Parts: sequence; C-alpha cells; structure tokens
Amino acid sequence: MADITFTLNGERITLREEPNLRFLDVLREKLNHTGAKEGCGEGECGACAILLDGHIVNSCLLPLASVDGRDVVTIEGYRMTERYQMLEKAFIEEGAVQCGICTPGMMIAAESMLRENPDPTDEEIRHGLAGNLCRCTGYNMIIAAIRRAAKEGEGLW
Amino acid sequence: MRHIIPKTYREALEHLKSGSLHILAGGTDLMVQNRAWSETPVAFKKDTLYVYNLEELRYIEREGDMLHVGALASYDMLERHPDTPSALKRCIALLASPGLRRVATLAGNIGNASPAADGVLVLYALDARVVLDSADATREIPIEEAITGPGRTAFEDGEMIREIRIPLEDFDSERFKKVGGRKADAISKVSFLGAAAFDGDVIKDLRLALGAVNTTVVRRREIEAQYQGLTAADLKARSQEIREAYAPYVRPIDDQRSTATYRRQVALNLIEDYIHSL
Amino acid sequence: MKKQDISRSIEKVDSREKISGAAAFTSDIKLDGMHYAKSVRSPIPRGRIKQVNLPSLPKGYVVVDHRDIPGENVVKMIHDDWPVFPKTEVAYIGEPILLVVGPDKEKVAELADAVEIEFEELEPTFGFTNSAIDLHYDKGDPDRAFETAARTVSYEYETGYQDQAYIEPQGFVGYLDEGTYTLVGSIQCPYYVKNAVLATMAADEDDVRVIQAPVGGAFGGKEEFPSLTATQLAVALRKVQKPIKFIYEREEDMIATTKRHPSKVRMEAALDENNNIQGLRAHVGLDGGAYLGLSGVVLSRGMLAATNAYTIDNVWVDGDVYVTNTVPNGAFRGFGAPQMIFAIEMFIHHVAKEVGEDTYTFRTRHQVSQGDLTSTGGVYRDPIILDEMSKKAEEISDYHRKRKEYEDPDTFKGIGMSWFLHGCGFTGSGEQEKIKARVKLKKDADGTVRILVAAVDMGQGPKTTFRKLVADVLDLPLEQVLFPYPDTRYVPDSGPTVASRTMMVVGGLLARAAKDLKESWREGEVQEAMQRYKQPDYIEWDQDRMKGDAYPAYSWGVNVVEVEVSKVTYEVDIKHVWSVYDLGKAIDERIVLGQADGGQAQGVVGLGYLEVMEHEGGALKQKNLTDYIIPTAVDMPKTENHIMDNPYPLGPYGAKGVGELTLVGGPPAVALAIEQAIGRRVRKAPVTPEYIMELIHNG
Repeated sequence: MADITFTLNGERITLREEPNLRFLDVLREKLNHTGAKEGCGEGECGACAILLDGHIVNSCLLPLASVDGRDVVTIEGYRMTERYQMLEKAFIEEGAVQCGICTPGMMIAAESMLRENPDPTDEEIRHGLAGNLCRCTGYNMIIAAIRRAAKEGEGLW
Repeated sequence: MRHIIPKTYREALEHLKSGSLHILAGGTDLMVQNRAWSETPVAFKKDTLYVYNLEELRYIEREGDMLHVGALASYDMLERHPDTPSALKRCIALLASPGLRRVATLAGNIGNASPAADGVLVLYALDARVVLDSADATREIPIEEAITGPGRTAFEDGEMIREIRIPLEDFDSERFKKVGGRKADAISKVSFLGAAAFDGDVIKDLRLALGAVNTTVVRRREIEAQYQGLTAADLKARSQEIREAYAPYVRPIDDQRSTATYRRQVALNLIEDYIHSL
Repeated sequence: MKKQDISRSIEKVDSREKISGAAAFTSDIKLDGMHYAKSVRSPIPRGRIKQVNLPSLPKGYVVVDHRDIPGENVVKMIHDDWPVFPKTEVAYIGEPILLVVGPDKEKVAELADAVEIEFEELEPTFGFTNSAIDLHYDKGDPDRAFETAARTVSYEYETGYQDQAYIEPQGFVGYLDEGTYTLVGSIQCPYYVKNAVLATMAADEDDVRVIQAPVGGAFGGKEEFPSLTATQLAVALRKVQKPIKFIYEREEDMIATTKRHPSKVRMEAALDENNNIQGLRAHVGLDGGAYLGLSGVVLSRGMLAATNAYTIDNVWVDGDVYVTNTVPNGAFRGFGAPQMIFAIEMFIHHVAKEVGEDTYTFRTRHQVSQGDLTSTGGVYRDPIILDEMSKKAEEISDYHRKRKEYEDPDTFKGIGMSWFLHGCGFTGSGEQEKIKARVKLKKDADGTVRILVAAVDMGQGPKTTFRKLVADVLDLPLEQVLFPYPDTRYVPDSGPTVASRTMMVVGGLLARAAKDLKESWREGEVQEAMQRYKQPDYIEWDQDRMKGDAYPAYSWGVNVVEVEVSKVTYEVDIKHVWSVYDLGKAIDERIVLGQADGGQAQGVVGLGYLEVMEHEGGALKQKNLTDYIIPTAVDMPKTENHIMDNPYPLGPYGAKGVGELTLVGGPPAVALAIEQAIGRRVRKAPVTPEYIMELIHNG
C-alpha cells in the first residue's frame, strides 16, 4: 500500500492503494469514472486514454505509482469545458460516433493534439489519432470532425 | 512482492543494492509483460522500483557535441527538443502512438532489449553510449555492449541507466524506414537506418543499421569501413556487393508479424535502395 | 408544409451520451454483491478430459461446469453441436471448459490458474478435408455448357481468417431478479440469447430476461457467440445465486470467439466461341472450426453469391464446411459473401485476361439486367442501375485513364474496380419460416410512442433511424417517439440484428405499424400497433434444392481503389477509394455514409490487404490487438461515397440493406489494383506485402 496524491479533474485526492494497480482500474473501480474503457489492456487501442499533465496517455499502462504528484483529466472532467463542447458539436455534425466505445478516447486524443497544434492538417490529425483504434467509422468522419472543431473553435486552443 | 517508490535517485540506487528488481519507467513494456486479469494489480514477478517520477532523470542536455538524455526523458520530449538528432526524430515520429511516446523512454527500451525496438536501432547507428550507475560505481558502455540478446542486457543487479549519450554529428544523407504491419502504431517487421557524410564527392562516414532481423540490432562497422573513401558513384556500382556483405548477418525469424523470407529480402532491399539513393 | 426528404441527416440520438463517456456499457455496470466469472480453457486442440483437479475452494468460491446444467448441454443455434461446457472432449485451443466464480477477482484468478486438467490428447484435424456440411445447387444445364465449351478456364482463390475486432470485448452482467435469469450484455440478438438460455436452463419463457446494453461494436461477432457466454453465465447464476460479471479479456476474445471463415474457392468457366461465359462451376470450401454453429448458413450465403453481379445461364455450385480443431468460425459482416465475391470478381478478370479481352468490356457483357434469372433461378424483379453506378464510379475516379496509364509496369501503380450485390434479409424463406418477425408500437395516453423491437443499435444507428422513420410516418416530432434499449420482457421477437435486415425488414414492419397507428390514432388513449412479417407473395424458395428467390431484394455497389506498391518493401499505399451504392433509399444519409467508410475500412483495407490471422497447430498466432493488425487512422485512405436512389417498393421509404454491402466488394477492388501494380495474378486475400513479394519473385 502507498499513499498516492494527484489531481483528478481539478480536485486534489489522496488514495491509499496498491501502487501496482493499473490507473485505468483505479479510475473505473475505485473512483467510479467509467468514461475510460478497456479495449485491449496493452496500450494498443486507446479506449482508456486520459490526459496526464495535459497530454494523452494510456491509463491501462500506467501504474498508480506513476500518477503521484501529477495532474489527471478524464473525459468526466473534460466534458465540463468549452473545448469539449466544440468537439462534441463537431463530432455530432460530422457523424463521427457509431458504437461509441472509442469515442471518449478519441476526444482525449483530439484535445491532446489540438493543444499542441491548433490548426492541424488532415495528415497530422491522422497521426494524432494513431493510438486510438475505431472499428466502426473508418476514421474519416472523426478526422472531419476534428478539422471542423479546429476551424470553428479558432482561438479555443 | 515489494513495491518501492523512491523519492530520489540516490534512494533508488540504494534500493537496487537489494538484488534484482524491475525498474519501471514509462511502463509500456513491463505493464504489458506482467499484466494480470483486469481490475487486479499487475503481477510483477520481481520487486519493483517505480522510477517514473524521479524528475532528476528527466532531462535532455547538450554539452558540446554530446547529447545527454536522462533515463526518464520520454520520446515525446526528445521529439520536441531542438538538439535531438534528426535521425532519432524521424524514428520517433513513426514510433508507437502519441500516448505511448509520452511516457516511453529510450532507457526503458534499452532495458527491455527487444531487437525490434526502433529507438535502439537509431542509437546503434549514432554510436550512443549508456551510462550505468549503481550505489557505489558508475560505468559507461557502448550500446552494442549494453544489449546482449533478445531481452538480455549486460547490466548487473544493482545498476540502472542514468543517461544515454548520443554524439551529435552531421550527416549529408539520412534515411529511417520502419516496415510494420501498418503505417502507424506497429511493431517493426524490419527497420532500417542509413546515414552518410561526404567530403566533396567522397564518403567519409557510412552507417547502416537493421532492426528485427537478428537477436540484436545489426550494425557491422567493418563492412561500413570498407566502403569509406569511395565516391557515391563507386558505391552505387557496388550496391549488390554491399547487399551480399550484409546477407550473413540478416538472420530473421518467422513469427506472428511476418516471415523470415520477407524480412531478409526487405532488409537487403533497404540497404541496396539506400546505397542507390546516395 | 412539404416534408423533408427522409434521407436528410439528423443528430444521432445517442451521440452525446457516447461522446461524454456517460453511456453505461456492460463492463461499466456495477451491482451490489457482484461476483466475477473466469473461464478455464483448453490448452490443446483436441483431447479427452481425463480428470479435473480443483484447488480447495474457499467459502463463496465455486466451479461451474457441465454437471451444473439443468437442461440441454448444447448452445441452441442453427446447428446444435456446440456444448455449453464440454463434458468429455475438447475440440479447440481456448475452448472454455469450466468457470471459476467468486467475489474477489484476484482470488478467482488465482483459483482458475490452479485448476489442473489432465487430457488424453487426440490427433487434431486441420485444413479442408473433413466435410461436415455439403450443399449444392444448379441452374440450367451446366454439364452441357461444359461439354460444348470452346474452352474452359479455371482458377482457385483463398481468403484468410478475419477477426471482428470490435473494441469492446464480449461480456455480460447477470443477476437473478425474483428467480428470473436477467442477463444484460453486449449482444446483437436478444432472442437468440434468450432461446439458448431457455433450452440450457430448461426454464419457462418468463424465467429468462435478456437486456441489451450499449454495444461497443459487433460486426457479426456478437451474433451467435454471446449465446455461449450467456448460457454459461445462467448456469453459474443458478449455482451461485449472486450477481455475476462475466467479461472477456481481449486475448480470450481473440482466441475463443468466432471469426470469419477462411475459404478456398475453385472456379471454372465454360466459354463459347465468342468468349461468353456459358457455364460456371464453383466449389466453395469453408473452414468451420471446431463447431458448426452458423457455418452452414454462412456457406449458403457464400454459394448464392457465386455469380455476383453477372448473369450466367448454366451454373453448378457445390460447397462444404470442413470441421477442424480450431476456433469455431461464424458470423462476420458479409457472412460468406466476401469470400465468394472475392473469388468471382478476381475470376471474371482472370478469365478476360486469359482470353485476351479488355476486362471492363468482358464484365459489362455479362452484367445482370432487370428480369434476368439469379444464380438459383429466381428473378431480379426490381430495376437495376448498375450501369449508371459504374459510369459514376468511373467518372469520379478517372478509372479508364488511370487504368491505361498504370499498364506501364514501371509505375507500380494500379486501379481496380469491383461490382457486387448483397441479398437483403435472411436467405430464402428464413424470414417467413424461422424468424417470423413481430414488431410493436405502444402509444401512451400522453401521445408518446414507444418502439418495441429486439433490433440492436451497435453503432449502425437504428436508435436514430427507427425513431426518425416512425416519427415521420406518424407526423410526430422525434422527441415524442422513443426507442428504449431492447428488453425481452417488453419487446416482441423482431428477429436478430443481422443479414442487413434491420431497416428493410424490421424498419419495414415498423413503418406499417406506424401507418396503422396513425389511421387508428385516438387522442388520450393507450394504443398498440403490431405487425408480423409476411413474405411477398411472389417469393418462391425451395430450401432443399436451393432454387428460387434466395432474397426478396438486392443492394448493389461499385468500389474503385487506387494503389501504389513499394518496390522495396512491397507495402501497399492506398491512394483513394471511390464507391457508389444502391441501397434503395437512405433513411439517414450521414449514417449510411458512416457505414460506407466503416465497411471499406474492414473490406478494402482489412480483409483486402492488412489483417492477417493464422494458426499453427490450432493455436492462433495473432492473439491481441498488437499482433492482429487492424487499420489506424493513418492506414485509412480518403474515400468518396455516392448513394444513388433506387427505391424498393416493399422497403420503408424504399430502403434496402446497407451494413454488409459496404464491406463485401472491398477485397477484390484492392486486389485488382495491386494485381495491376505488380503485373501478377492475385489469388489470395489479404494481399499482404509477404504475398506480394512472393508473387513478384515467383510469378
């Protein structure tokens, strides 16, 4: 057991837990944040993506120990932001959502990418999504949505 | 199993005295290799030292013609850093995915010693060296000596990587090619790095490295040396000969990602094609 | 006020809850006192179970196996050969033998690891030798066509495994609700699950309740397999009497759940002196895996597509499903058709090349027209607009110019075009005799209308399109029409969510029910409207001889794919995909376009050249998403999709099927493009770099 302190969606929390728990499980089982999903358990599909210090990481590969002292934003926190609203609108308008299991991870990937590069080319968007697998859409509508959000949300990122 | 979260690097080295430990940096290899049933703790088979938050080791510094890459500098940091060699940047852009690059480290990839690790391939080509610390000693060894086989390193119990030293050199030509199962987020079937520096028309430095075609990265300095001093035109005329010179060292395997035949053919094609591009 | 065209897109009704992560998928469900189940699996491809040695089980932990089954130890599906829990023999690596169930996951895992099973290993069977199902049909006089042929041409084609690779693995949460087995899960077919559980539990109709949770992708993979996990879970619930969560890990899902059947198809054409195909013989072989399940139906759909979009007067088609000691194969979007369409599309080209004809002209000459007889002697009754579709596809892709330009072998570029059809709904009289779909609309006193059907939204959109359809017929705002997640306690059996039948068949019944409700609408009253499937009168189908109208309607498509192949690494770079579809009428254009892109990702990219799965001695070599490669955003090419209206009189607003159509023609389009780029005849999909290398070096 170890005491691990971090910020989750703006709130500082301390947990006394096994440090070798996957952070994904901590979020889902201990903290009831189920927006991050397990698709593969080995960092391949990106359904478990979260923002760690503002950047996308796979929470299934993150031991709880590594989160100590860091800032975590999950889809539950991100959905309270204006940027989220812009991406949500674009995802809806471009038909970027089918089954939805990958979608929260896609939103996290989009945020992480746009934060670095507010005006990405299509090719840059594709590479920004390279760690997020979607089996339904063939990605093009997701790419269109991110392009649209970047354009309509100019100044937000 | 013990789980040790050191507060300082010094403390980490002290803990390492106790024997063979997992040293967990970004975790992208260890967390997969030791995963248990979901929602249960990761089943490490050894005591684990969690070093990801040792900020002391998270640095990239240039000192003259040497780049010092701290053990916890992530690929993402390297990709952004102005002094990172361009060959390494080319490789990082195609490595895994943004989420993995954020936490994965060169040091971790060296420790894991996979012959398919693209970052390690670049280190071979760039003559990188690995600095190892233990509680009471420090040593520096070339990357070829650090990795002894698939999953095997020359590290002693009690040692951990403090930094990687990459000599900064200019090349007139560079090519990194990753051949994976798909265009992104793939483990290499074959990877290749070629670099060359010219003095006028004459080759003064030629480097060729191949990943995933033998138990460790293939780099043959004696073959490279043979062709230094030639003009590009001479070199091209001997491309077939160079291809054949590498053939004995290209000894890949069949596995779930590709076939030995394909890997061999493509590895040698990549060498020949690069020579022709010079 | 003039109504808006039904195709005009609206917001997908479940987008927001899915984007925000609020939608509760199966694994997100938590119940008080929840227990966890873990499978113990066969490590060998075939063997007799000699002895099971269990660790000592702490209080509250149990093992569930075949002895706990109160009813039939068989998973009820089309072919009842699949045991719920094997009793004496195992038939494939990964076959679940028993479950360990308990409250603490770590303990459950530890106990499952400690179970030791002794086997007497038996010689496993692999390959295309051990036929368990053989089917046949013919049309015209194929013998005579071959006897009188000016020449014959014959080729063989192969396709490999394909995994559905839905991002959400299989899973259920189950509990007993006052004695009722209640199963909430990631499923395509609530009533398949219910009927399977009824048989296994020897339970009464009201004792089993199945509820669909949001489904994180399915593609056929959650058609029949969940009937296995559900029956196992029900047996466990009976023994444990506590809520149980039963979720597959990715690797379990990869090694143990149904895949697309590997195929071998032999084609032989009899040509007359003018190079017209006067006869076709085909043999379709499918590797069924360890249990047959739905394989016979998959084979039948494959065989029926033997002539694809061409009319050939004399046809002889045989097919076999071979039983092997490998993971059972089953439903996957396209259901046998992708294998057959790959073979026939490649074959048409290869025949044309063999006789020295332009492939495009050769195909056009054999193209299906309205009024022609189908492969089984049924009639293509409805207008066929394949001509306009292929012209459109040529125009937007600049096909002819590029085809000519890329004839230069030094370009290493190619462009390929496939034409294809897909029969909508169940094969033959399946809808009428097996499924007997029923739908219900329920109107509350306040005028709210609820759609009660068992059709599942697994991303393809019926939660939106059904509401849109019913609201449109009733002239109500969308908000006044609801479509809750199907729950067998409330919804009638409208059939499974498969076979591109959801909009055409279930949607068609809903449109009729809505019309009835509208005509009998009484303000302030509770009302119901029911509809039951009736086969169109003109359909005649002889199941035994496979003769007549195999499908009430067909959707059509054209794919064009342009590629460049690397001379150094043999990797394929898809430059662009262009597609034109006739699916009758789109109920929501954007949803259809999403199906198009998604189908192409799986068909053109996935089955066409990227996705490799193989077994060695019955052990799958690609067991996770690292080794089983599916396309990323970087691998997916740009696409341009066009929908051409061609309303089908019996479909709602003219709609036919769409889901499978967008996949089935992909592999030959990309294979033909690669074939042109490398100047070699491609006979296998996926067309991997390894295979391309082999073709270039060995011809």
